Amino acid sequence: MKSGVGPPLLLGAGLIALWEIYVRAAGIDPLLLPPPSAVARYIVQNAGLLISNGASTLAELLIGFGSGVIIGLSLGILMQTWRWFREAAYPWLVATQMVPIPAVAPILVLWFGFTIVPKAATVALMCFFPIAVNTVDGLSSVNPELIRLLRTFGAGPWAIMSRAALPHALPSIFSGVRVAMALSVVGAVVGEWVGATHGLGYLMLHFENRGETAGLFATVAVLTVMGITLFFLVGWVEARVIPWRRYAKENP
Amino acid sequence: MNAIAIAMKVRGVSRTYRDGARSVAALEGTDLDIPEGKFVSIVGPSACGKSTLLNLFCGLDMPDAGSIETPALGSGDLLGRVGYMPQQDLLMPWRTVTDNAAIGLECLGCDSAEARTRANEYMTRFGLNGFERSYPSQLSGGMRQRVAMLRTFLCDRKINLLDEPFGKLDAITRASMQTWLLDYWQENRCTIVFVTHDIDEALFLSDVVHLMSPRPGRIVLSLSVDVPRPRKYGEVVTSARFNELKSRLLASLGKAS
Repeated sequence: MKSGVGPPLLLGAGLIALWEIYVRAAGIDPLLLPPPSAVARYIVQNAGLLISNGASTLAELLIGFGSGVIIGLSLGILMQTWRWFREAAYPWLVATQMVPIPAVAPILVLWFGFTIVPKAATVALMCFFPIAVNTVDGLSSVNPELIRLLRTFGAGPWAIMSRAALPHALPSIFSGVRVAMALSVVGAVVGEWVGATHGLGYLMLHFENRGETAGLFATVAVLTVMGITLFFLVGWVEARVIPWRRYAKENP
Repeated sequence: MNAIAIAMKVRGVSRTYRDGARSVAALEGTDLDIPEGKFVSIVGPSACGKSTLLNLFCGLDMPDAGSIETPALGSGDLLGRVGYMPQQDLLMPWRTVTDNAAIGLECLGCDSAEARTRANEYMTRFGLNGFERSYPSQLSGGMRQRVAMLRTFLCDRKINLLDEPFGKLDAITRASMQTWLLDYWQENRCTIVFVTHDIDEALFLSDVVHLMSPRPGRIVLSLSVDVPRPRKYGEVVTSARFNELKSRLLASLGKAS
């Protein structure tokens, strides 16, 4: 990220140019693979449609992601605080990740109907796990000597959690949050595939059924840009929440 | 000797750890008096129970047998009432120098803004002036150690336990930190229990040096260091009295191990 946006943009532009040249030179049927220029034209001509559906997806994604972060963090802290809770709950948390999400999503639609709830719930279901696991990892790797030192200052469990364990765990928690952000895009699309009247995932099915390949590609492009933007937004927040990381060469 | 008040009175203290199936006796029947306002060192070979003793003194651990009385502090749990500086500096990488120095006061219930203000008042005295907003990773080893020491001394405890605070420093930094610590202690008299395996360091700093035997640890020799203060490093370590005391310690150390 430090090397700037130049090289990745250059590489992307190069690949898109190759794609354009290939489609034109080989005379590929645009229903199989439309040239980037056609996709770009589609995006410009249907900007309103893409934006309104993108907004629905973004809302589902952010609500689901936000809930996932809160649930994951809380579960992580609870599991670290009470050993018995960790032992009792951990296998079940793993089980929630073993059930295929596309199998759970229809059940959620059955319960909550064609509302935003089943989509957000699908996102949250995928998001919370990496955050919970990374929170436990981060909290449990705090130096026990530091905890002993704080106890000699009269610190209780809450002071140790808030002043030592949580700040220590932040880099690890953010690793989980970044993974969760990447997963949440998948979660939102899957949530829409099984029952929606709006959103980019819905739009993809719609275009696929009508054989509008350029529209399908345009939707995927918008979804990708949205995902990448959100992912880097997490990195931006992380750099502000963890300012000491810039200086830290070692970790005690 | 009777006139001197006792800060900490240790009688018959034993502590045994379980290490899997086998049990390790770290301390056995240790007796020790720590006089108030004095600089007391405990020296001994590695793993002789020095750190175990400090853990008992600050309330992190309890003896299996024996008693530790603290007339200077009254009775009750020692946790949170005895100053403790561990071997590692344990600075938090996410806190600046000021915030690291203030953590002890904060945990003791002091308002965090107030704790920071108090920490900043000592920055010059601790040679940290201008580094208040630096992060620990930007500091040298000696400076990190001074932040850790400020964190302990800021709590203004009557008894302070220092566990090999200069153990990881190079010889030159170490000598200057020893002199600095003595100066500071001369201005702010508190009881200091200083653990080290460096005999020169113990003799240079202390009023009394206690020698511990290898595991299970007991006090095998107590020496009063009757070298006048203020002490100058170069003069003290080359003096005849210093070397006489040092050879007595070394002889006992040879017998004990």
